[in-house]
Amino acid sequence: MIVCVAVVGHQNNPLYLQSFTEADDALKLHHVVHCSLDVIDERVNNPKRNAPALNETFLGLLYPTENYKVYGYLTNTKVKFIMVTTDLDVKDADARNFFRKFHAAYVDAVSNPFHVPGKKIASRSFGARVSTIVKSFGSGTTA
Amino acid sequence: MDPLRSYLGRLLLEEVTPVVMVLTTPLAEAACRKSGLSLVDMLSPFSLFKKIDVPVRTASDQPYRLQMFKIRMVYASDVRKQDYEATDERIKPIVSEANESALPDLLSDPPQLEDVLSKPEAELCPLWIRKFNRALMRTLSFSEHETFDHPVACLLVVSSKDTEPISKFVDLFNTNQLPSLLNEGVMDPQILKHYLILHDKQDGPQEIAINILAEMKSTLGLNDCKLLCINSSTEADGVDAEDSWLPYKSYGLHNQEGACWLNMDDLNEIKDFMQDLASNHIIPYMEQKIRVLNQQVATTRKGFRNQIKNLWWRKRDDVPEASNGPMYTFTSIESQIRVLGDYAFMLRDYELALSNYRLLSTDYKLDKAWKRFAGVQEMSGLCYFMLDQSRKDAEYCMDSAFSTYLRIGSSGKRNATRCGLWWAEMLKTKGQYREASSVYYRVSNEEPSLHSAVLLEQAACCYLLSKPPMLRKYGFHLVLAGNSYYVSDQKQHAVRAYRNALFVYKQHPWSYINDHVHFNVGRWYGVLGIFDVAIKHLLEIIACSHQSLTTQNMFLNDFFHFVQSMGKKFDVYKLQLPAINMSSLRVIYEDHRTYASDADVNVSESIWQELEEEMIPSSSVVRTNWLDKSPDLRKYKDSCVCVVGEAVKVRIELRNPLQIPVTVSCISLICQLSSSLDASSAENIVLTKDAGEDISNTRPAISTSEDDGNNFTVSKLDIVLGGSETKSVQLEVTPKVEGILKLLGIRWTLSDLLVGYQYFEFDTKRKTKKGKRGPRRSLSGNLIVIKGLPKLMGCIDHLPTNAFAGDLRLLKLNLRNHSDYAVKNIKMKFSHPRFVIPGDLSEVDLEFPQCLRKHIQSEINTVPTKRTHEGFKGLLFAFPQDIKIQGGATFSWPVWFHAATPGNFSLYTSLYYEMESPSDITYRTLRMHYNIEVFPSLDVSFAIKMCSSKLKEYIVRMDVLNRTPSESFGLHQLSCNDNKWAISTLPLCDSISSVETVSANQAISSFFKIKDLGANSCKEAEDSCRSDMLLSCEGGTEEFDVSRSPITDFHCQERYQQGRLAKGPCDLLDFILISKAVGGNYSKSKQDVQLLSHHVCHCSALDQSPIWWFMEGPRTVTHDFSKSYCEANIQLVIHNSGQHDTSVRIVTFDSLTDKRTTVNLQDSNSNQGGWYDVSLENDIKAISTAKGTHYQKQPSDSISPYVWSSLSCAQVDLKPDTSAKVPLKACIFMPGTYNFSNYQLHWKVHSSEVGQVDENERTGGGQGHPFYVTVLQDAQ
Repeated sequence: MIVCVAVVGHQNNPLYLQSFTEADDALKLHHVVHCSLDVIDERVNNPKRNAPALNETFLGLLYPTENYKVYGYLTNTKVKFIMVTTDLDVKDADARNFFRKFHAAYVDAVSNPFHVPGKKIASRSFGARVSTIVKSFGSGTTA
Repeated sequence: MDPLRSYLGRLLLEEVTPVVMVLTTPLAEAACRKSGLSLVDMLSPFSLFKKIDVPVRTASDQPYRLQMFKIRMVYASDVRKQDYEATDERIKPIVSEANESALPDLLSDPPQLEDVLSKPEAELCPLWIRKFNRALMRTLSFSEHETFDHPVACLLVVSSKDTEPISKFVDLFNTNQLPSLLNEGVMDPQILKHYLILHDKQDGPQEIAINILAEMKSTLGLNDCKLLCINSSTEADGVDAEDSWLPYKSYGLHNQEGACWLNMDDLNEIKDFMQDLASNHIIPYMEQKIRVLNQQVATTRKGFRNQIKNLWWRKRDDVPEASNGPMYTFTSIESQIRVLGDYAFMLRDYELALSNYRLLSTDYKLDKAWKRFAGVQEMSGLCYFMLDQSRKDAEYCMDSAFSTYLRIGSSGKRNATRCGLWWAEMLKTKGQYREASSVYYRVSNEEPSLHSAVLLEQAACCYLLSKPPMLRKYGFHLVLAGNSYYVSDQKQHAVRAYRNALFVYKQHPWSYINDHVHFNVGRWYGVLGIFDVAIKHLLEIIACSHQSLTTQNMFLNDFFHFVQSMGKKFDVYKLQLPAINMSSLRVIYEDHRTYASDADVNVSESIWQELEEEMIPSSSVVRTNWLDKSPDLRKYKDSCVCVVGEAVKVRIELRNPLQIPVTVSCISLICQLSSSLDASSAENIVLTKDAGEDISNTRPAISTSEDDGNNFTVSKLDIVLGGSETKSVQLEVTPKVEGILKLLGIRWTLSDLLVGYQYFEFDTKRKTKKGKRGPRRSLSGNLIVIKGLPKLMGCIDHLPTNAFAGDLRLLKLNLRNHSDYAVKNIKMKFSHPRFVIPGDLSEVDLEFPQCLRKHIQSEINTVPTKRTHEGFKGLLFAFPQDIKIQGGATFSWPVWFHAATPGNFSLYTSLYYEMESPSDITYRTLRMHYNIEVFPSLDVSFAIKMCSSKLKEYIVRMDVLNRTPSESFGLHQLSCNDNKWAISTLPLCDSISSVETVSANQAISSFFKIKDLGANSCKEAEDSCRSDMLLSCEGGTEEFDVSRSPITDFHCQERYQQGRLAKGPCDLLDFILISKAVGGNYSKSKQDVQLLSHHVCHCSALDQSPIWWFMEGPRTVTHDFSKSYCEANIQLVIHNSGQHDTSVRIVTFDSLTDKRTTVNLQDSNSNQGGWYDVSLENDIKAISTAKGTHYQKQPSDSISPYVWSSLSCAQVDLKPDTSAKVPLKACIFMPGTYNFSNYQLHWKVHSSEVGQVDENERTGGGQGHPFYVTVLQDAQ
């Protein structure tokens, strides 16, 4: 199950952060997302690790903690997508698929002429779309 | 880097060293106690040899030299497995101790990014943390699976006072008293024994001891016995003693009691003893043991045969022992190999150690003795490290050891911790900080909260040290560490960890985390009783608009709680609650410009200046400052001026970022008024003006400027800001003395608990932006206060904010002089004279609209229109010179209002007045500003056509369209502007009177006749034909006089305005339509009578010509056609209304085709107004059929039904304003109705001054007007 998705701007400012848990662990997830940025920075600055994939946007598993797995995705505009999941065996293909859908949703959200670039994404329809993507992630693994 | 020099290397050299077990008799111990030391304490400082420099030969033949060496002295009673809880209790003080040293640090500002990055590693990882690490590792001493803690030698100490010392020695090594580990077979009891006789010199001469020693040597062995004399100092406490201990202090020796009986000789003796013990006994013993064991291992385990045998043997034994794991005693070959490895490690033959560890690891693995396996792996990892060979192997070994320890469950946890610490140190040595920190993090999961906190802190440090620094992880781990500290009741440490992390979250808008950190730091400071810092941190977050309501409440409650705990009100600079919008700051002050209301200040200065241009004295027009007169004040040319006793207003916006309502009370300005105008203070002002920022930095004491009640008074305002509410407040300061007033800032009290204040930022760069009121009115905090001046307040009463177009009202301008001085020479100017006209003093008390009614003749004469139209062009209105407004007096003046055209209008009024008494400012202006919205009401338009049947008469059509959605207007009166015109209803259209009300959206048209009475004939005007006409019966005789002020004045304005738009030069007359509102919401809401006047100016006739003509003759002719054709006698009347002689030629013709063409010629003109001739044929037909008479013969197109009989052409010369009659005769052949219009007029103007006459008007022509004559068959 995905517990949290986040969009982080190119100045590492949070643009969107939504947790999908009932528990009051928003702060924890904030921390997890925030920390993952360090790893993304590192990945981006040391590209030799994934040299074959020069234009690869999917960053893979960033950061395995005891409870979570954090996956990252970097767009060409240096906007980062971060997904925190509790599934301990996630197929890369699933994660890629998720991020692709998420990216599309994000592009639609920021194409809104009333969206101010670099500001938080306030669109409610984006939120609704993300939650459907998140919900389909769990079922997508079995299907 | 040489691994031996690294921290881990030194750590291993110090920690993994031979252990010497110490057994003492109570008396020997007592001798040491005299100096406040135990025996181990006394010997320990000397057990570290920095340069022992002894040759060592282990398994290989090649000897090498050991430099640094250390032996660990341990009491036999301590040689046992440690109790975890007890050791944890021992570790706790290490952490708590560090608390106290950290306290002053906590009071300073939290570190910034640069500070942290520039810190050396040692500072990031303070000493106490290393101490903690060591203590944590030591908790594992004397574990059964490792042998490097197994005692290598045993030191037996007996005092010389003991009776029978020899037997005491034997007793001491009695197996019953030995540690259980030795007895259980885990440790080898066959160890090197060393005997020491301890002699206290205070107890007697040395000889006794020497004797005993000799006896010992003979019984216990020559080399293994030693004598040590102590307490030879004669004084209890010597200065030299203190000094002599100094070098050893760092080894944990503290001479607390101060009663030290040891002198220099004693120390040297101890030193020698220890040196001897180490180099001559322990090291050789270990060397020998290594060689023996190595031989043993080589014969049993090395070689192909042994390996095969080993495998086979193990497999056979595997099954029965698998359940519990094999039990190894010191005699088992595995233990021996382990001892061999450990000894080799301790003697730094890492190659040998490694080869043995590797041999052993396979064995343990086969035996599934995981703990031992992990221990061996751990050691081989360390060996790899010390050899500095394969980094990869080292890491692999540590990793496998670590994970194996973790796998075996709770018993291996602490081992895993130690292994992790070593591993992390190893990684740190190699610069792999990231890996190290992840190891720390993994270790921290296995430990209780306190330990985990320290470990997490180290992990955080590692993230910081990694290149590039991973600050976010640093912050996160510090937060985790802080949490753990807090859980384990180490609040100071918790605060320290959190505040170190603060800077990570500061720069990026990760406000959620930032708030959490600030809140906890603040709260914990509060718990620690450091309220001021607590409040400082909580201040950062009380304005958190993004948090939920409950969180905001929590923050605020805690904040107020701590503020209350402080027990006093205190000032907070830049308190964020409520947020102050500095860009909204407006300073409103009045110098010679005064304003009727605050809204007027927002009007652009240029509008006022334009308005006042001709009103104010010329000196000001050229913009020299009036201050130039007084040289003292010249330097403040750019400053602003305000007047004593008049409030300076400051408007600023306050916003509540929270969802919780907050009460803000006592909002007031912080001001300073320096009454002295000496040079020094002036310079100060210039300085502060230059560096506006400095004001806020230097922070002048508020208390001094707060209650300066003698010099000025400030207003205090209390408001409650609801959730997320923004309010604009207006604050006032009223200076009481002359001087320089500085507006410094704003202060307020939040919830009656604490005072916030903020200084204004008068940014000189933004002058242009703020200087809405012109460059001279730039905002700087400084105002020059000058002597009191008279000031007029004024307003126009009941000026409507919205009105219908045409609305006419009488209003009153009220002025009030609030000062004690009189003002004179009052002038006034309106920006829109079309809308507002000042009246006359006599009109003040008149009743509206009765005053506009027509009066009897005599009254009209007595009240003449005093203003000529020319004089009114100037918009400046000067009050009579004798009008002075005394101090405290009020004054009223009538003002007429007329809503001229629809639209939105800003009405600006400026009132100029001069001071009666001489003062700094000679004049002032009062500026008033009103916004008026005028709705469209009635659209009135007129079309005029010359009457074709009467001379000098026009037919007028009035089109009225009501454009209001719901109003009804009653048409009251239609007037012409000039008395020479007489207006009347058309004779046949009396029903016009019935159309007196125009309801919403209704359009009506009505027709009138106007007659030009001529300039001289106005006197003979009768009642029936006057320039005014009542349209409404209801209104009775209420007729309004349009020739009097103000209607005539407004009319002049309208003429002027509409004249600008008029196209042609020929204008005939103006109409004024007066109507009343009779229904609808608008009139209901206002009880007074609504009077609307619409002015339509410059109306002109559609076909204006100097020549008038019409037919005159009988309209009905009865003739007996049976006898003859009929002859109709008619005459054409021609009138010249032009200025010049004109000759007119009349042409009659019989064919219709010609006429058609001429009609078309004129169509272009006549179509415009919708007035054109109806086709003749239809008329004839219609009339003839209607009459029911005999229809005889349809006249053909080409033949006219009648024939002109008298003449076909005539010429008449006409003088100006004369008429002539031309007789005409027509022959008619059958009864019917005939239109005698088959004639044309051509005229030509004869003028001596040809140039004056327009070319178009010189010659002209016209088709005959229709003139219908009905010819009837005579009945007879």
